[in-house]
Amino acid sequence: MTSNLDQRSSTSPLSISRRGFVKTGGALFVSLAVPLRFNGRADAAEGATSIDPTTVASWLEIRSDNTIVARTGRTETGVGITGYYPQTIAEELNVRPESITLIMGDTDRTPDGGFSAGFLFGMNNVRKVAAYTYQALLGLASTQLGVPVSSLSVTDGVVSGGGKKMSFGELVQGQHLELKIPVKGALPKPDPNGWVGMSSLDGITVDGDPPMKTVADFKVIGKSFPAGHIPDKITGKTQWSCDHTLAGMLHARMVRPATLGSTLVSPGTIDKKLFPTAQVVQKGNLLAVVSPSEWEAVQAALSVAGTSKWSDWSGLPGSDNVIKAFRDYNWDKPSGTKGKAAETTAALQAARRKISATYEQGYVRHAPIGPFVAVADVKADGSVTVWTHSAQSQGLRARIAYMLSIPFDNVVVRWMDQSGQYGRTTLGGDGAEADAVILSQLTGKPVRVQWTLQEDLAWSSVSPAWVSDISAALDASGHIVALHSAQYSPHMFDPRPLGALLAGLPTSTSKPGNWVATEWPYDKIANRLEDVYGMPNLAADSASGGLRGNIMRTPGQRQQNFALEGLINEAAAAAGADPIEYRLAHTTDERMINLLRATAKAANWETRPSPHRGARRSGSTAVKGRGVCVMIRENAYWVGIAEVSVVPGSGEVKVTKFTIGGEPGKIINPRQLDRCMKSGVVMGLSEALKEEVTFDKSKVTSTNWSRYKILTMEEMPEIQVVQLSRDDKGFGGGSEAANALVSPAVAGAIFDATGVWPRKLPFTPANISALLKAKAAKA
Amino acid sequence: MSDPVTLSVNGRKETVSADPDTPLLFVLRNELKLTGPRMGCGMAQCGACAVLLDGEEIRTCVTPLSYAAGKQVVTIEGLPELWAAQKGLSASESATTTLHPVQQAWIDEQVPQCGYCQSGMMIAAVQLLAKNPNPTVAQIKDAFTNTPPSPHLCRCGTYSAIIDAVQRAAQAMKGAAR
Repeated sequence: MTSNLDQRSSTSPLSISRRGFVKTGGALFVSLAVPLRFNGRADAAEGATSIDPTTVASWLEIRSDNTIVARTGRTETGVGITGYYPQTIAEELNVRPESITLIMGDTDRTPDGGFSAGFLFGMNNVRKVAAYTYQALLGLASTQLGVPVSSLSVTDGVVSGGGKKMSFGELVQGQHLELKIPVKGALPKPDPNGWVGMSSLDGITVDGDPPMKTVADFKVIGKSFPAGHIPDKITGKTQWSCDHTLAGMLHARMVRPATLGSTLVSPGTIDKKLFPTAQVVQKGNLLAVVSPSEWEAVQAALSVAGTSKWSDWSGLPGSDNVIKAFRDYNWDKPSGTKGKAAETTAALQAARRKISATYEQGYVRHAPIGPFVAVADVKADGSVTVWTHSAQSQGLRARIAYMLSIPFDNVVVRWMDQSGQYGRTTLGGDGAEADAVILSQLTGKPVRVQWTLQEDLAWSSVSPAWVSDISAALDASGHIVALHSAQYSPHMFDPRPLGALLAGLPTSTSKPGNWVATEWPYDKIANRLEDVYGMPNLAADSASGGLRGNIMRTPGQRQQNFALEGLINEAAAAAGADPIEYRLAHTTDERMINLLRATAKAANWETRPSPHRGARRSGSTAVKGRGVCVMIRENAYWVGIAEVSVVPGSGEVKVTKFTIGGEPGKIINPRQLDRCMKSGVVMGLSEALKEEVTFDKSKVTSTNWSRYKILTMEEMPEIQVVQLSRDDKGFGGGSEAANALVSPAVAGAIFDATGVWPRKLPFTPANISALLKAKAAKA
Repeated sequence: MSDPVTLSVNGRKETVSADPDTPLLFVLRNELKLTGPRMGCGMAQCGACAVLLDGEEIRTCVTPLSYAAGKQVVTIEGLPELWAAQKGLSASESATTTLHPVQQAWIDEQVPQCGYCQSGMMIAAVQLLAKNPNPTVAQIKDAFTNTPPSPHLCRCGTYSAIIDAVQRAAQAMKGAAR
């Protein structure tokens, strides 16, 4: 990677201070300009070249051996941050990405906090830190080389000027230098009045505007640099949170209540002859078995589960009746609204032609392949260390401190890799951590809690069911002149730790509202009003807090876009227009227009209205169809085109091809984005075709992979990716959105094939055949 | 205490004193510190815990230790040695063969997202390529979905990258054939 003097200003906004000289090594520490307390620990040392690591919390260390350590509280959740964070830092520093090691997520070793879904926010942080540091290094080089900054250039971490050269490592050799970065914000704390029960999700952010490279000067960004976390995962070297062990550690299995609302009448017992080293541990409704042997813990927990007595409870509507329960609820005012209320209402009332529809979906869930796991060590001195894979380490730390009513500084959260979780821990809760902390405190020993799949699928937080009423007014030419949507759903901001709830310990609360998550793609629709209503969890008053609603990949927008894009497809059909041409007629946004055209071309889209002339709603042979949808999210544009084959008689829907187009401004890493787009489509297909949490009146019943079905490899169609990168629109978010493009496009394709709109997810054979039969009976 | 059970793990003889009913997964992870295979569903529904037992894929979460007695277990940690042995590489050649072609393909194709299921996926790939050295996309999908006892599940949705990697590994193994 080479860079001559790029377009950045060469004035250094910050100056380096020298803290001292050292005999060996040397480093520049880039740290916080405001005092923050960290739990410095002896084991936080990062190697021989670290200088006093117990007191300095660094964003970056530029070391004398030309290696660089970068630290961030954000973590690798599987979307490639170990690839693009080093790329971004390397770009601003003019070094090779390979020279950078990332330390992620540990609350005592990383400065910023923040949630790992915050791609744009977090990446901007490290980019600014690198930009500040680059300017400071130029200043240092100017002094040491005796050459003005304006005459210096940097290639792969070597500064040249005036016929002389020095590497960054040589610049810091023998010195302990510090650079202070201006920051704002604060680490999170529980906030009962906040939307998410927490003061902030973003943590510390870098302030000011250091000179940064322009896109035209990028050398590393835009290339498919590999993700650093991958090789060790391939060889088995990675230590995952499920692998962490401590001396004297006990294995625990939880014994969950008989129903979602049961309270403990009497705990079961252990036959000590069968299980000599197992022990029952209880606090309130939190019940567990611990043992030095994992296998003994498993067996003894089954035995305790069989002999424990719980109160009866049945306070759920049942998953088949959930939409009716929502219809019966008194919703009060919308908790979120966007658009023009008076104008939209008037336009809809005056409309001569109006179409209306109701879209709905049951509960779905994150469903990681690895059930949640955590290790906790609560010491007699009150210090707490938790090993976890939470995507919000500082938030989890705050929740644990709040639960135990102890100072924030007493808790250290150490992050390790683990199974993907797709937003489930973004708000800092919902894992095995609280269980592990409580059990460690009660037993006085380190405890590892491994949830089972059944437990994870029954007791973790969920993405709530919803129903949306949506209508549009069309003018004489079929153009939409007004659109109104009203979405009803339990809230998705309840990340209270299950362990704390069951044990009756303090937890935060959060507001039972939702928000309008769509980003509006259709500026040529003159009037629009989007209303979103929220309510508490189903069975919120039960002992466990009920079905705890939580965000899940592309939250809010995934659901709201299904209704919006569904209605746009219905309106296009009502207007007798091709659904892509119809969208083009409702927007002047050049980015959307370009992407729609490029994706349509790649998919060999045939311009014509839906349904297809051969569409049928009965028969035992397959009919084909295609559908489209769009989305704007986080400065990124998206198009999905689905091709399906439907057997009307059986209701079987097979997606035969999916084309996904994405334009997220400047693409940082085309291959990682390609992987994210394809895998996002797989997750979206899974949700569209298969997923639904089922429950009866007292408990969740979809508690294994044959009851909570997800997409298999054989069910994956050919997925075609279209990427547009541009230099003039900054960066957009690339790791979400893809999953949310599938359902509306597949719905449009099913209509194209059958002439019937599927408005209820998932599109299982049972749901589709029931829909087609009902329509056939009416026809 | 139960009688010790002896088995071969990644080419090494291991003797384990554990309840013979203990799932092999717990023995590999907790006794032998081989953390490649991972706890997923615990009921042979996902494939995260898969290893090779005498060359055939098994799910260690439901396989008792006693069943593995006297048999040969290979986890992802042992794939490089398995490849070296299969190719009859000399000690010096073996030392430079740091990865099984399946592992190298998984890196080259940047397959993992979270990576949790990928240990089992690579085991399934090794098994498939042993039986079918040049599988089509349809055959790969079939193998990863319909081989008993269950499909190999990936929640991140890396199936397409896995297919690319299996085909890349097939090419590499063909090139390495003697």
